[in-house]
Amino acid sequence: MRPEEEDRLLEKIRHLLESGLKTQTEPFPETHIEFARILDELRALPQEDLRAKLVIGGFTHTPYGPDQMRCLECMYYLVHRKWCDLPELAVPVEPDWWCRLWRI
Amino acid sequence: MANLLWLQGGACSGNTMSFLNAEEPSACDLVTDFGINVLWHPSLGVELGDNLQRLLNDCVSGKTPLDIFVFEGSVVNAPNGTGEWNRFAGKPMKQWVKALSGVATFVVAIGDCATWGGIPATAPNPSESQGLQFLKRNHGGFLGKEFRSKAGLPVINIPGCPAHPDWITQIVVAVATGRGGEIGLDELQRPKTFFQSFTQTGCTRNMHFAYKVSATEFGQRKGCLYYDLGCRGPMTHSPCNRILWNRQSSKTRSGMPCLGCTEPEFPFFDLAPGTVFKTQTVMGIPKDLPTGVDKKGYIALTGAAKNAAPAWAEQDMFIV
Ligand code: SF4
Ligand code: SF4
Ligand code: SF4
Repeated sequence: MRPEEEDRLLEKIRHLLESGLKTQTEPFPETHIEFARILDELRALPQEDLRAKLVIGGFTHTPYGPDQMRCLECMYYLVHRKWCDLPELAVPVEPDWWCRLWRI
Repeated sequence: MANLLWLQGGACSGNTMSFLNAEEPSACDLVTDFGINVLWHPSLGVELGDNLQRLLNDCVSGKTPLDIFVFEGSVVNAPNGTGEWNRFAGKPMKQWVKALSGVATFVVAIGDCATWGGIPATAPNPSESQGLQFLKRNHGGFLGKEFRSKAGLPVINIPGCPAHPDWITQIVVAVATGRGGEIGLDELQRPKTFFQSFTQTGCTRNMHFAYKVSATEFGQRKGCLYYDLGCRGPMTHSPCNRILWNRQSSKTRSGMPCLGCTEPEFPFFDLAPGTVFKTQTVMGIPKDLPTGVDKKGYIALTGAAKNAAPAWAEQDMFIV
């Protein structure tokens, strides 16, 4: 993906989240087993279905939970590219966003 | 001249294959250059039947001095403690192991099965397998905690699935050249020279480990295999990235996670589905943290590392 395309996609996601898209933030996958189930759901989606990806991923445009988890500390986050490197997501994200596939 | 006898219990012969691939010194060099007299080995021995029994009995009686007794594979006790499932040269192998260990100057366990029971001893352990002096992490095993060979040493454990040929040959050469007493052993009786450092020591992915950049697919050159693919390099003691395999590479260098095969718990999690090649997590945090790091420290380190990560750490630096 070219940088301008990534910027456009980032804005699109921002718009969806800020306009109140209800996503499945819970349940947070307790272990790798529940985590793998969410990945299976994501893999089954048509590639262009961004909305469903955000919903199943449980995206928020703010840090989440009492520990204020966020992309910045997530191991899939590429700081400089502002990118989620989890192959099943592979979307641009902001450091203060979060999704339930967060892990460190 | 040092007499060496090598027997196999509950084994796949993987350590024999590894040993026969040794270079510098090769298995032949051990004989020609280091004065090792291989009395018998499952793949090299020529004696069969009565002749083999005679050879073994001569060792047990002391007629033939046994300097190094090498055992590969688990000690099989099934069924019901008799060992009848693994008969060799006219009796259960476990009886030979007991008798030969009692007369050998040095006893060396090669591979995970001989050291801790390995894969055969994985629950429910139908073959009632044990390692020579351990069962998994429990000290004792078939020969018992107090066992000492004639040289006054416990069993020298060279684990691995399989053990690297150099780990085997270097220890055999040290023993054969009279330096056996100088081999420092760790609390699991592994030679410290090989098993004090971690698999991670010398891994080419250490920069990505430090900056928390994850590899998400096998063989991917960028990224560390700890975060997603279950690499056990930071908590496994082995020299796999110092003494390379085939003098070329290692698992982690080629993009394959370390499975922790030199530790007594291998295979980890009793091979339950979904536990292999997958980092086990609890609420998003790895269940097994790098040795010596606690959860609080790990979280703090992650935040700091992510904040400090340079741009190059995110790019593929291995350009062909
Ligand atoms: S997995 Fe979720 S929390 Fe982690 S970087 Fe991607 S979007 Fe952010
Ligand atoms: S790949 Fe494994 S051994 Fe290498 S740095 Fe990462 S965790 Fe350590
Ligand atoms: S890299 Fe790990 S699994 Fe592979 S041989 Fe070394 S210790 Fe064993």
